[in-house]
Amino acid sequence: MLFSWDYLLHGFVTACTWQNLLWATVGCLIGTLIGVLPGIGPSSGIAILLPLTTILPPTSAIIMMAAIYYGAMYGGSTTAIVVNIPGEASSVPTALDGYAMARQGRAGPALAIAAISSFVAGTLSLVGLTFFAPVLANFALAFGPPEYFALMFMGLSLIISLSGRALLKGVISMALGLTASLIGQNPLTGAARLTFGSIDMMAGINFISVIIGLFAISEIMINVEHSIDLMYDTKTLDWMPKWRDIKRCIGAMLRSTGIGFFLGLLPGCAPAVTTFVAYDVEKRVSKHPEEFGKGAIEGVAAPEGANNATTSGGFVPLFAFGLPTGPALAVLLGGLMMYGLQPGPMLFKQNPQFVWAVIASMYIGNIILLVLNLPLVGMWARIALIPFPVLGPLIILFSVIGAYSIRFMLFDVWVALIFGVIGYAMRKLGFPIAPMVLATVLASMLETSLQQSLLISQGSPLIFFTHPIAVIFMGLAFLSIIRGIWVQIKTRAPEVAVEDEEG
Amino acid sequence: MKTQRSADIESGIFLAVLGIVILAASARITGGLEERLPPRTLPYTMGFFVLFGGVLLAIKGWRYKGENPPINWPDRKGMRHVLVTLISLTVYLALIEPVGMPIATTLYIAFSVWYLQKGRYRILCAAATGILSGAVVFYLFMQFLELSFPAGILQP
Repeated sequence: MLFSWDYLLHGFVTACTWQNLLWATVGCLIGTLIGVLPGIGPSSGIAILLPLTTILPPTSAIIMMAAIYYGAMYGGSTTAIVVNIPGEASSVPTALDGYAMARQGRAGPALAIAAISSFVAGTLSLVGLTFFAPVLANFALAFGPPEYFALMFMGLSLIISLSGRALLKGVISMALGLTASLIGQNPLTGAARLTFGSIDMMAGINFISVIIGLFAISEIMINVEHSIDLMYDTKTLDWMPKWRDIKRCIGAMLRSTGIGFFLGLLPGCAPAVTTFVAYDVEKRVSKHPEEFGKGAIEGVAAPEGANNATTSGGFVPLFAFGLPTGPALAVLLGGLMMYGLQPGPMLFKQNPQFVWAVIASMYIGNIILLVLNLPLVGMWARIALIPFPVLGPLIILFSVIGAYSIRFMLFDVWVALIFGVIGYAMRKLGFPIAPMVLATVLASMLETSLQQSLLISQGSPLIFFTHPIAVIFMGLAFLSIIRGIWVQIKTRAPEVAVEDEEG
Repeated sequence: MKTQRSADIESGIFLAVLGIVILAASARITGGLEERLPPRTLPYTMGFFVLFGGVLLAIKGWRYKGENPPINWPDRKGMRHVLVTLISLTVYLALIEPVGMPIATTLYIAFSVWYLQKGRYRILCAAATGILSGAVVFYLFMQFLELSFPAGILQP
């Protein structure tokens, strides 16, 4: 994959034709709407719209589909911030502080900082994609099952910081999340586990249903307790972040770009993982870690930056090896192949105009996304002005649509309802919800990589301590666990979750 | 479960029982014993985690003697609202397949808005929101986006 200024400039010329600008704008708009509507994630969005793009020339079609992809990745944060519905797992960390900010009348700044952070991280990671793709693509190939397991294990150790003062409850929450994820067929052998004879449960429990239940449905249950008119006080609504908010987030944006981009290069390492990692890193380096979970603006900037950086990072292995790092990019790969383009090292030699036009269009798409979404901040924040007796049932409706659309099984909606009740009880009893979500997101990859690693090593767990990259991740995980236990022993306080500390 | 301490003790006991149930269910998983990671290993591990986590939580709650904040349960009216919301949602889900998503949605939204709304125009508001929601489900999601939601009695 060769870089040339000529190709890049030529790419910008192609991307800046009015037709391609128009399709990029349409893609960003549709993508944002797809992201905002729960249920239709980026992969289904691209899949649904793929046939419609056949009327366009290949370059315009792929520019539009890429725009839908990163537009949708951005749009998911809107409902997470305004009404506490993370439609995608990657929006869960955004909801932790974004919704807390919205409750303080700061939905506008939260949405705006999400847009700005997405723009900064998206653009910086595109620079990485443009100049360092060949080297970075090799980094992705250095990851085998032991490295993936170590990375997922490190991801799981994030429950320490997500649990706050309730470490024991956080561990229980994680164990319950992992148990729920084990229901169904074993990913490698197909053996049925914990299904209690039910055919529906053989399909397993999808983590999107768990998220919808734990966040959206339990939130409505909490709100209907009181005969409220609005979901939260909207008397003091800020629309835009102040300069000091942006200044506070610059470090978070840069750090999350690095985390999101490098982890985004790894197949299977979805934004759901990178956003949690970025959130945790930000909490650790922050001078005010106690504000996290209560409306820290860096808690919105970091996951949103990581989300978009992961999106751009995923294009490196896609273009360089034809290796999609997630379901949405797999659908996009299908789109490329539909137009007779075979991603891989030869793509850059055989179709340089096409590749560089798509890369150039992504720079422009990020600007379009920012320009489109900053003025829309006020509109999205006004969702909270809809009276709760109307908004509450509508949130439930979108939750039902979101859960049903995962696999078009009513079972997934029942699962969301059950987890809504579980989430309600957990919030009342002071159990943190985020560790359960993190466990359900990581479970499948954790188990698959563990099984594959043990197959390679013929059952020896030493494989995780003999591979250099795996050792680093395992070391970081154990350090995090030891530190968490030490802090827990020193603190003699009742087990209360971070999100419930204010009552 | 009126205070945090009693809630910790009682939820700890409940979790310990749940852990035993998970262990019992894990014991029934068959096959794959010759594999490097048999299919029952992780469920067993999680069962132990839940069991010991629950026991530890109950002990920690029992031994705790410091500040003991009350659990913020709803009052009678609030509890009634929660129960009605849950029951109406259950009925909605049960109706989706037999009567179809658009009609079930119309009925659920109309009822919920009517139940939660106050004031003179609540019937009108409930009916309008319900019909509009059903129409959005039918025309936007089922007709335009071609998502295969159950059509029920609207099936042609």
